[in-house]
Amino acid sequence: MLNKLIKYLSSLRFTIVLICLLGIIFALGLVIPQKSLVKDIYFEWQKSSPALVSFLDALQLTEIYSSWLSLSLWCLFFLNLALVIWQRMPLVRKRIEMPASRIVAPETATGYIFRKTYTLPDDIDGTAILALLGKRGYALLGDENGFFGVKNRYSPLAFAFFHLSFFLILLGGSISFYTTFIGYVDLANGETFMGELERYNRSPSPSLPKVGRIPQVAFTVTSITPQVVKNTPTGISVKLLDARGTTHDVGINTPYITDNTFFVFKHLGMAPLFVLKDLSGKDIEGAYFKLDVLQGRQDRFTLAGYSFTTRFYPDYVLEKGVATTRTQEFKNPTFFIVVEHNGEKIGEGTITNNGVLEFNGHRLELQEMPFWVRFYVIKERGVSILYTGFIIACCAVIWRLLFFRREIVGAVREENGVRHLVVAAKSEFYKNLAEDEFTKLFDDIVGHQTGLNSGDV
Amino acid sequence: MAYWETVFYLVSMVIYAFAGVGFIYSFVFKNPRIITKVTLLVGFGFLAQTFSIYARFNATGHLPWSGHYEYALMGGWFIIAGTLFVGWQNKQLQGLAVGTVPLVLIMLGYGYMQNPSLTPMAASLKTVWLYIHVYFAWLSFGAYSLAMAAGVVFLLKKKSESLPVPNPAYERFPSLGRLDELIFRYVVFGFITDTIMISAGAIWAKDLWGSYWSWDPVETWSLISWLTYGITIHLRVTFGWRDKRLAWLAIGALSSVIICFFGVNLVVNTSLHMFQVR
Repeated sequence: MLNKLIKYLSSLRFTIVLICLLGIIFALGLVIPQKSLVKDIYFEWQKSSPALVSFLDALQLTEIYSSWLSLSLWCLFFLNLALVIWQRMPLVRKRIEMPASRIVAPETATGYIFRKTYTLPDDIDGTAILALLGKRGYALLGDENGFFGVKNRYSPLAFAFFHLSFFLILLGGSISFYTTFIGYVDLANGETFMGELERYNRSPSPSLPKVGRIPQVAFTVTSITPQVVKNTPTGISVKLLDARGTTHDVGINTPYITDNTFFVFKHLGMAPLFVLKDLSGKDIEGAYFKLDVLQGRQDRFTLAGYSFTTRFYPDYVLEKGVATTRTQEFKNPTFFIVVEHNGEKIGEGTITNNGVLEFNGHRLELQEMPFWVRFYVIKERGVSILYTGFIIACCAVIWRLLFFRREIVGAVREENGVRHLVVAAKSEFYKNLAEDEFTKLFDDIVGHQTGLNSGDV
Repeated sequence: MAYWETVFYLVSMVIYAFAGVGFIYSFVFKNPRIITKVTLLVGFGFLAQTFSIYARFNATGHLPWSGHYEYALMGGWFIIAGTLFVGWQNKQLQGLAVGTVPLVLIMLGYGYMQNPSLTPMAASLKTVWLYIHVYFAWLSFGAYSLAMAAGVVFLLKKKSESLPVPNPAYERFPSLGRLDELIFRYVVFGFITDTIMISAGAIWAKDLWGSYWSWDPVETWSLISWLTYGITIHLRVTFGWRDKRLAWLAIGALSSVIICFFGVNLVVNTSLHMFQVR
């Protein structure tokens, strides 16, 4: 019974069943909104269909990629993979060995699909043929009376490398899973960040590592320069000055990396300095506000009991009396502000850098207009192991599937004073297509001739 | 779209439409002689498509990389390039265009409907990983499409050979045994480039999004597609699936790639692979 179970667990049939099941799970994850991936859609759906969502929650289908079902399938997959490798390794070893028993008569060798007999020109003897085969990458055994040659002899080893790379990916993925810290932090131009946990955004809240500590970092944001062409963001440059005095340029695709931590640029906003004054010019209150107002979004801030609702126009223009922006380029950055007090609108107007908005006996001054950026902060270990797995997988799949084995058995026979090269050859994955290859190979070696089936001689 | 881009785009579509009809005609009316001429026509369409890409490159300063329209334009170019290449290498394979040309025509038609605007290259795409990731994605798409086309031809030829009077149009094609191996060879090439594409994508994603794997819909579907072709290879090598079964697998498996390139973003708008390209 146990043997039967192990046999099934180590079978390729079981691998295919597992892969199909995993495929179904992945596809389900695309259809069912996942709590951790599309939160907004999930919560909206939860509001509209609470019974269905709670049912799916109970089945863990809304967190399908980390559900017990998925984890169990992955465990079985890697168990199966380990057993398959364990079973196959002796076969692989056997295949790459070159015992003398591989030398067989080409006329009677079984399993060889290409068989030809070539008449040898006077200037070529058996030794020369072996040397020419050797030049073409064949590892050879024997001599002209009988030889065995194999090209890409070690190709079966790539099978092991390819499948072992999955374990490296698993190892790297597991290490990263347990050591991952994820958080978001909003930093304006000029702000210093010392890696304090309380400085990370509360929503979404930081996800602490199961093993290890939170990122140990210290830097100051020294400049933020977005680049936009018409309506397409084409780049951003965020300069950070670390504790050692080194400047780092963070952009899209170029995160700041320190202490196994990636600071990935995620979002851009305006961080204007608004100062509220009375009409005599006396400061009442002022502050920098991180406003999320790009791409037409609306945001709000309060000063001295007044509420200010803002819209931002990077390239402000008044068209037919309607405020709008020509492009998303920061050519004429302007805020449109609605002022409210106790829920009542008491003023509105536009304000540019170093400009003033007057309302109800107050002056709102816009004294600076820097940017703020949101960094996605992720710390995880094991990524280099994972990358090694990827590289090995790529190399191994190329090795195994492109540089597959070709085997030749041959001998030089003499009959009536005429020497013939009798060969039989086979290729690992292809039969018909390999015929072309072997025909060309022997045409190159012995000169083009029609060649006879080995039985004809 | 730029003016000359539109002109050449439409010209290539018209030529492919004629070529597609020509191939179908040659098969249905058993006239294999026109296949070479129709292949030449595909070559002209390919030239027009290349000019269209060049015109877009001139207008935007970058090659078409993302968005459904650009997938259609550049992905279609790779499929036709592959088709012409194998037809040039082996005349017997010119007829594979009977599968790939209609596919590209549909892709181009769909791309044109997206009303594509000329946009500068988005910041997220300015990296060397783009070239590796996207080129290999298109190479795999091209190879899988050729596998599909070889599968279609295999099935047609097989059916024809079972008739009392086989259709002479199929005589130009390689034998069934060779076609069967060609399907596998294209699948293998596609699988290799697919593996490199996914690995490169994961490394790029780490820099761009902070995470090498986010279960993004396009990512997930590309994994499904990769697994599908992985199973295909195992079924062939280990279980000896050949002939009709392999041909049907090659045809069916392409749907997973088409869903990955075009389908996922139609259904869900949460993919990180949208890249703000209108």
